This record gives sequence, C-alpha cells and structure tokens, in this order.
Amino acid sequence: MIGTTEKTGAEKLNPPAIKTSFFKSQKNTKKMGNFFTYIILILVSIILMLPLVWMVSTSLKPMTEIAQFPPTLLPEEVQWENYLETINSFPFFQYAKNTLFITFFVVLGNVLSNSFIAYGFAKIDFPGKGLLFSLVLATMMIPSFVVMIPQYVLFSKIGWVGTYLPLIVPSFFGSGFNIFLMRQFYLSIDDELIEAAQIDGANHLYIWSRLMLPLTKPALITIGIQSFNGAWNDFLGPLLYIHEESKYTLQIGLQVFQSQSTTQWNYLMAGATLVLLPTVLLFLFAQKYFIEGMDLSAGTKG
Amino acid sequence: MQNKKWRKIYLSLFAIMAAVVLVACGNDSSEGETASETEDGKVELEFWSFWGSGPRRETIEAIIDDFNESQDDIVVEHVYQPWGDIWTKSLAAVTAGNPPNMVVQDINTVRQRADAQQATNLQEYIDAGDENIEDRFYPQLWDTVVYEDEAYGLPFNTDTHVLFYNKDLFEEAGLDPNSPPETWEELEEYARALDVQDGDNWERFGFYPLWNLGTDVWAINADNGRSWFDEEENVTINTPEKVAALEWITDWQEHYGESNINAYEAEFGSGVTDPFISGLLAMRGQNINYYTDLRENAPDDFNFGVAPLPEYEEGSGNWSWGGGFVLEIPYGAEHPEESYEFMEYATSTEVQERFGLNSFDIMANQEANENLVEHPELDEEGQMIYELADTNFENTVITPVPLTAPDYLSLVNGPLDEALLGNLTPQEALDQAQESVENLVVQNKE
Amino acid sequence: MASKVKPRKKKEWSKKRKKDAMWGLFFVSPFIIGFLVFMLGPMLFSFYGSFTNYNLTSHMEFIGFGNFIRMFTRDELFWTSLYNTAYYVLFNVPLTAVGSVLLAVLLNRRIRGISIFRTIFYFPAILSGVAVYVLWMQLLSPSSGLVNSLLALIGIDGPAWLFDPNWTKPALILMRLWSVGGSMLLYLATLQNIPTQLYESAEIDGANAFQRFRNITIPMITPIIFYDIVTSTIGAFQIFQEAYVMTESGTAGPANSLLFYNFHMWNKAFVAFDMGYAMAMSMVLFVIVLVLTFINLKLAPRWVHYGGGSNE
Repeated sequence: MIGTTEKTGAEKLNPPAIKTSFFKSQKNTKKMGNFFTYIILILVSIILMLPLVWMVSTSLKPMTEIAQFPPTLLPEEVQWENYLETINSFPFFQYAKNTLFITFFVVLGNVLSNSFIAYGFAKIDFPGKGLLFSLVLATMMIPSFVVMIPQYVLFSKIGWVGTYLPLIVPSFFGSGFNIFLMRQFYLSIDDELIEAAQIDGANHLYIWSRLMLPLTKPALITIGIQSFNGAWNDFLGPLLYIHEESKYTLQIGLQVFQSQSTTQWNYLMAGATLVLLPTVLLFLFAQKYFIEGMDLSAGTKG
Repeated sequence: MQNKKWRKIYLSLFAIMAAVVLVACGNDSSEGETASETEDGKVELEFWSFWGSGPRRETIEAIIDDFNESQDDIVVEHVYQPWGDIWTKSLAAVTAGNPPNMVVQDINTVRQRADAQQATNLQEYIDAGDENIEDRFYPQLWDTVVYEDEAYGLPFNTDTHVLFYNKDLFEEAGLDPNSPPETWEELEEYARALDVQDGDNWERFGFYPLWNLGTDVWAINADNGRSWFDEEENVTINTPEKVAALEWITDWQEHYGESNINAYEAEFGSGVTDPFISGLLAMRGQNINYYTDLRENAPDDFNFGVAPLPEYEEGSGNWSWGGGFVLEIPYGAEHPEESYEFMEYATSTEVQERFGLNSFDIMANQEANENLVEHPELDEEGQMIYELADTNFENTVITPVPLTAPDYLSLVNGPLDEALLGNLTPQEALDQAQESVENLVVQNKE
Repeated sequence: MASKVKPRKKKEWSKKRKKDAMWGLFFVSPFIIGFLVFMLGPMLFSFYGSFTNYNLTSHMEFIGFGNFIRMFTRDELFWTSLYNTAYYVLFNVPLTAVGSVLLAVLLNRRIRGISIFRTIFYFPAILSGVAVYVLWMQLLSPSSGLVNSLLALIGIDGPAWLFDPNWTKPALILMRLWSVGGSMLLYLATLQNIPTQLYESAEIDGANAFQRFRNITIPMITPIIFYDIVTSTIGAFQIFQEAYVMTESGTAGPANSLLFYNFHMWNKAFVAFDMGYAMAMSMVLFVIVLVLTFINLKLAPRWVHYGGGSNE
C-alpha cells in the first residue's frame, strides 16, 4: 500500500541529487516530452486566455466601437483614457483600501482557523466527532440566501450592520468547505509522525504549529489564495452590510457602470481588469511557496 | 522541545483572534443605527438610489443640494446602491427594522410592498398637504401606488415603448422616412421592403417583433391594452386577440427562419453590440430610453425616427407598455413626515423638468414632460422624444405585479417559448399558460 | 487501513482518551462557537419558517406541511427546477473533476515558465461577477461568438447555445469547465506532496506513463477527488447566479431551461415574498444533498486511500 514505506529520517533521500541523475539518463526522451508538454500548455493557454484578451480589448474601445456589429476582436482605436475615466468614476483607491482591509483579515482568519479546526477533526479522537463533522458538512448544504435574511437580522441585532465585522469575524471560526479540505490533507499525513512526536513529549498544539503547519503549506496557500479570491471579489456580503459609500468595496464600485437601461462596457471591463491584477500578482508570488512545499514534504512523507 | 519562539507565535495568533472578537463585541453599541440628527438639530435623511454615475447621479445630487439649502430643518444625503441589488438590501433592512428613509423603488411592485408592510402609507401626509398631489402624475402611474385607496409612494420617472426606425434605410428602400408604419399590416409591408437577403443569409432584417420587445407588449397592443391580467386580476392570457398576436409573431419567425433569428438573438440580448446602429436591423421596437444609447453610441450622422408602436388593426389603438420608478418610504423608517417633504419637492414640476433635461428620462410629472417638449435647451431630437412620449402615454399601459400571482412570469414564458420552438401551437401555449397561472392564483389565495 | 493501536494497559488507555477528548474539543472549539453564534439561529429559524407562511415582513403563521404538500403536488415549476438542477449536477461534477485533474497533472512539472502557465490556467477562476457572464454571452453568441467560430474551424456548425433550450445547460457547463482553476489548484497542491521517489522506483520497475498515472497519481489524490466530488456536488446544486445574470432580468432562459432549483427558490423568496415556501424548498434541497453526501461518505472507503493510515 502506498504511503507506508520510507518515512524515517535515515531513509530520506536527497531529492535534487536524484533528479539530476534522473534527468541525465532520460535526457532525450525527456526533451521530446517537454516539447509536447509545451505545445499542449500553449494551446490550452490560448483557449483560456482568449476571454481575457476580449476583456482587455473591450476595456480599450470607445463605446461606439463596442456597439458595432460584427464585433471587432482588437480595438481599432485604442482609448487608454478609459482606465483613467474608470478610476475617476468612483473613489477607486479608497475602495481598494477598504477591500484590502477586509481581505487581509478574511485570509488570516481562514488560514488559521480552518487548519486549526481540521487538525482536531483529522488527528484526534474524541466523542461526538462524527456528529460534529456532520454539522460541518451540513453548514455547506444550506442554500445561502435562505439564511441570508435571518443572519442579517442577527447581525443587525448585535449592532454589526454598517461595519466590516459581519464580513470578517465569521472567517475566524472556520468554514465548512475549508475545514473539510484541510481535514483531507491531514488524513494523508501519517499518524506515526504524530505518535513519534508525542512519545518525545510534544502536545497537540505544538504538533499542529511546529509539524503540521509546515507540512501542509501547499494546502494553506491554496486556502489563502482561494479565500483572498473570495473576499476580494465578494459582492453580496459588503453590499448587504455596508451602509456608507465611503466604506464600499471595489466590486460595489464597479456596479456604477450598470444601470437600468445602459451599461458602459468599456469602463466595466477596465475596472474588472484592474481588480483582477492583484489576484494575478498574488498567485504568481505564491507559486514560489508551492515549489518549496514540494521540497519539504518530498522526503518526510510517502 | 517546547520551543519558546513557537509558543510566542501561537500565543500571538490567539491574541489576534481574541482581539478581533473583542473589538467586534465592543463595537456593538451604535454603529448599526443611523444617526438621524446632525449636531445643529437638523433631521438627517438617507436617500437610496441606483444612480451611480453619469447625469442621473449628478442631477439628483444637485437637486438634493438645492433642497438642503432651501430650508433649515432637513438634510438629505444621497447613497448609491447597485442596480437590482438595492431592493434586496432594502428588504433586508426593512426586515431587520433599520431601513433608510427613502428608496427609489420599482413602480410595478408598490402594491405588493404595501400589502406586505414593506412600505409606509403616505396618505396622512398627502392629506395634510394643500395640493392635490395626484394631479401631478400621469393617471396610470398614480394608479400603481394606490393600495386600498391609499398611496404608498410617489411616481418619479417612467418609460414607454416605441418604434425606432432608420431613416436612411427607409429612403434606400424607397419608403417615405417621414411616414413610419401605423398598423401591423403596414409594419410587415415596410419590413419586406427593408429586408435584404443574400442566398440563405440575411444581410438586413426589416423588423422582428421580439427584438427588443416581449410577446407581452404585442399581446397588450393586440388586446386593446389589456395585459395578462385585467383590472380585477382575472387571468386573461388566452384571449383570441393574444392568440392572434402570438400567431403573428410565429409568422415572423417563420419568415426569417428560427436558426437565423437564434444566430442574431445574442447580439440583441446581451446589449453589447448594437445591430440597429450597425444597420443590420432597420426598425426596432424598444424602450424610449434607448434614445440615450443612440446619443452616445451612434455616429453623429445617424438618421433615425421614432413613432408609436403600430396598432393591431386600424382603430384598435397604438397600445404600448411602460414601467418606471417611484419614491418610497420603507416601512419602519424614521421621520416619514420630513421624507415626504423631500419627495414632494422631488416630484414637483420644476425639479422633474430638470431631471428629465439632464437624463432624458420620461418624467412621471406630466407637466414637466410637456414643458420639455418645447424646452429651449433641448435639440430637435430631444424635443421629438418628449413629444412622442407625451402623446404615447395616452395609450401606455403599466402592468403592476398582480398580488395573487407575483411570480407568474416563468409560467407564462415557458409555454410562449414552446410555441416559438414549434412544440405547441399558439392556442395550446396560451391555454397552458392560462391554466398554470390560474393554478398559481389558487395556490396563493389559500 | 490497518489499525495501528498497540496493546496497552486499560487505565493508561482511558487516561489518554480523556486527554485526547479535551484536546479534540479544544481544536474544534472555534467551529462550535462559530456555529452556535452565527449559524444555529438562522438555521433553526429557516427550519421553523418552512412550516409557516412567513413573508419576511408581515406574517408568519404556522401552516403545518402546507408548503411541502404544495411543492410536491401543485407547483409545476418545482419539478422543472429539480430536473434542470439534476441535469447540471450530473454532467458538471464528473466533467469538472476530470478536467481539473488533467490540468493539474499537466502543470505539475518542473519546466521553465511553468509558473506563468499555472497563473494562466488559474486565472479564469479569479474572474468573477457580471463581467464574466457577459463575456460568456459574447463568446457563446451563435453568429459572431468565439466558441462557434472555433468550432467552425474544425467544420462543426455550432449550436445556438443560450438560445436553444437543449443547449443552455451544456453552455453553462462549458463555462464552468473553463474556470476549473479553483479545484485544479487543490489537485496541484496534492500532487506537490507526492514523493518523486514513488515515480522513480515505478519507472525502474518498468511502469509506463499511463501505469504510473493510474497506480500512483490517482490513488494519491483520491482524498482530494473525494473532497472535490462532495463539495462540487453541493455547489452545483446551488447554481443560481450564472443563470440569473445570463438570462436577462431573471427570465430563466428559453422554455425555462435554466430555471434551476435556487432560481425558483429565489423567485419565491424575493419576487413573491413567499419566504416560508422558499425555506421549505431549502429543507428539501438540504435533504437531497444530505442523502447524496451520505452515499458519498459510505462509498468512500472503497476507493479513497489515505496515506496517513488513519481510521477514516
């Protein structure tokens, strides 16, 4: 069975060394393989990127060109000032700051709480665990807009409406999807690692923070990226709970380009492109840690 | 083994969590409630609209500034809420008991909100005023805000549906650009003259009734201004006139071919590309607000005309359909009297005229529209729009949501689509819709 | 997985169990607190509401099973919405799972520029909101859209997508497939954890690429496949926003072909203000999803391999 051999320190192999020799012996077939990989990667990339091209291209067109039929793929007349106009249509930087503030805490809350809670579910036996975990799953199954109004009333009663608290605080108490996800990752980690640490006198808090957090780094980054994405693009939450315009977020700001009769597509797309940038940058940056996670865990488990 | 550094790290993690919770709880005193008075004793009112940018926003904010300066007791503050979602948010706020003071609401659902206690009854404030405020508005607009003989909102702006046509293409096809089609029959003749076909491919469509109107508008037009429901909320879907209207539409579909229509439907549906401006379509039934699109997106030499929707047969009336928005005080809002004062101001002729002048909206105040027909600041096209709107209003029907079947729409649309797909005959489709909606009414009345 | 419990003295065992129970509760306590404070109230309220004629603002009278009876016997659109949703779930869940595994495997390489490709593959998942839906309405346009233009290149006459009731749901599934980046990321994170030695020794044993994929990659990622299937089933049942935005003013698509369960529920709750009925609908959906999840959980031990040797 997979995953029950080679786990002690003595058996650790040095991954980079193995890899070089491996690459050398298979050099030519590998090269061919890489070539085909690139072809496929580029083809899929083009398909995935075309919508982005359309989005950016629309963001640079004048409205008269957007209305044209048949539509043009690339703008005939590039209007960079659309971006300036977009930024000036609402307090862009103020809203960016607000969004960032909310997002920061949501990511922090999600990464910490879910990892913490899931450790309890995955690695410790306690009475009622099955029932509690069913509750975790149950919270995911309730259609959100049915509980939306009761939840709004609840937050209103405790005076949180009009603040960022209803958006931030719940993320510190775990979310069903992320607890479940982290639990799956923990379950793939060998229990003997924990038992060994316990014999050495470590308690669970220590094991979680010292052993598990580093081991589950790719999973934590995944949750981090996804909760960044979720909070950054959240629309309904801020919309419901924020009453003052000065506290609005970017996604609400983007709505100014839509009204009952017309939509200013060029500004909407320019705004969407600008809002997209931080997430793309974050993802590029997080790549590095993905690779690191790979090295760290390569030898310690399997 | 219990490394001190790590103990510090997780201690601080919990400190952060605890701090967030504490801050959260410590905050629960006042922020949620809206401060309703300024320091100098003025009443502060929150006004929610979905006018987020452009001339509508500028104008409403200028109007509010003027109002605030005109007296010493009330300060109105405009808060933008996104289109569509504004009403979900305001419903949540009404449910929780902390609504804003005023909201711009959909005209078709005023009675529904009055019935469900989501809107404040304005009758006592209306009665206290010295003017018969009802007289300001087009009568059918006023009807929508009255529930059990009492008013729950003041109409603000409105719209109606008309025929836009391309004058240059008319001339090209040998038609008189100044005499648009007046009956359904003429409409067909004109469309045939304007059609351009190259093999199986249509290079130009003369007219297609469902671009950009719904079957419901044609049904109203054919059935003497009667919508899916009559005034007593009886279901009137499968009337002979409506069956005839649907048959007429399926004839058009046959003429152009279902696949050709589908192929171009997206261009009309998404509202991004505009086939009318591009000359792919010569005549188009559309909301009169479309004029603002044409102003912004069409080339300067684009030569178009507007006309009432053609009538079903001579003398049946150029019935059209409209919508609009009202100013409402959500149920449970504070200071309704002061709010009403502002609403009265915002629907007065002078203010309405100003809003219309800048936004090209058709205003709910009849006199304001009439003034705009000859307004010196409007160009000829603008005046033409207001003139048509004003005359078209005699035959414009507003269709408030029936209290007995507010969610009837899917039950009607389903069979209508089946008819267009050829799965049902128009008669069968409307019979089925009639039966389904009657069934819904029975369920809701229980 | 084999049980790892070694024989111990009884007293010692129960002491460890007691200590474990304390630790366990300590770790899951944030969830318990959050559940009690933020979720339990609204959930109980919705449960009670499903037996009432609650309309949010003016009445909430107990009507027994009235909403449920109406749903199953009188409401024509209830069954339409259930059918549409089941169709979407049935095709969407397996297709997105296969799609994201394939993309993840493709990206799990150490070659030059891979981080750029990973970003490109992930980016559809970070686009959200109305802009995306409008973009897809353009792409799916039968006459001038990109999708049909591409199909035409390989000689296929593309369908009318959002305007043909037979193709509306496939259109949304296609759109969802395009943005599998989110679950792809999960698989990628898991693939990163598979030790390279496993592949190397398999290769020495003469396993070809497909055999390595079949015998190493797949078993190693089964915990996440399981997670993905459970959560995407739950998520797919909740489909709403796409359909709402892409059908203009909430008309549910041609011939109600995009009237999904939550769409119908939304109409009941926020168009008809029949919140009690909507809550009853949500209870029915809850039970459906619960049963499916339960089946998933029961079947899991047959195919999900946890490397950790846990007792799950």
